[in-house]
Amino acid sequence: MTIVDSPNIPRGLTALANPTRFLALVRIVLPFLTLITVILLAIGLWMGFSVPDDYQQGRTVRIMFVHVPSVWMAMGAYMVMVSSALGVLVWRHPLADVAARAAAPLGACFTFLGLATGSIWGRPMWGTWWVWDARLTSFLILFIIYLGLMALWNSIEEPARSARMAAVAILVGAINIPIIKFSVDWFTTLHQPASVLRSDGPTLAPEFLYPLFTMGLAFLFLFLTLHLMAMRNEILRRQIRTLQRKATRDIRAKKQATT
Amino acid sequence: MNEIFGTQYFGFIASSFGITLFVLLAITFWILWTHRARRKALAKLEAAGIKRASSK
Repeated sequence: MTIVDSPNIPRGLTALANPTRFLALVRIVLPFLTLITVILLAIGLWMGFSVPDDYQQGRTVRIMFVHVPSVWMAMGAYMVMVSSALGVLVWRHPLADVAARAAAPLGACFTFLGLATGSIWGRPMWGTWWVWDARLTSFLILFIIYLGLMALWNSIEEPARSARMAAVAILVGAINIPIIKFSVDWFTTLHQPASVLRSDGPTLAPEFLYPLFTMGLAFLFLFLTLHLMAMRNEILRRQIRTLQRKATRDIRAKKQATT
Repeated sequence: MNEIFGTQYFGFIASSFGITLFVLLAITFWILWTHRARRKALAKLEAAGIKRASSK
């Protein structure tokens, strides 16, 4: 039974099971996504650089407009990988492993940016580049998880096995996401508690909140654009590998025919 | 520049935005370069007569 025949697959997903159809969709969608990303980034940066100085943090508050969206996307990319891992293990969707594998380097980049900009922001505000508190340490662990997953994919030759192993590892690593989110509530940390994604609403002043949401949206569209581009690359890599194997088989068959 | 980054924390703010720009541009160009290289490799294989079943 192919994925298209499978009754377990949600109907919308079966249409994209064919990589050729998926690539055609990417070709149509990518220019629009790129345009929206550029516009949102321009608006977000303009809004971000127009905010007044914060009464406590002064002008360094502007670092928030790259730090917080990077952190959101670092965790968002991991959630994409979690849903892809379910796609591999539950529905066996052929593009699920492609999506997970394409999201990992992007997630690693956003995590690195979250760590780097957070460290740069921490130096003038906390007086230190780094502290081993629960929020910073769990976020560093997320970066290590991303690197580990990329190493895992590259270390197993057989595609189905590497997809399954990585999917299980992604689901195990997902335990770190709520730890990152709630670490500031569960432990005493130097990092401030949540001020945007709170059950009782954001505590951030609107003049900072709207530029932050705009930059968050810009980073989301940037991630979607880069993710589709990276998925397209992964599909091409698999097509090349298939053709190379076919070429090797053809050469062997010819050799056997002549001997 | 002083208007945007201020004078007191210029280095911290500028380096935060600078590193973000550098990393995001680097990953974008890496993805674009990889796409170009893979398209070339695929075209080379197809030119050598090794084609996918769907393209026959």
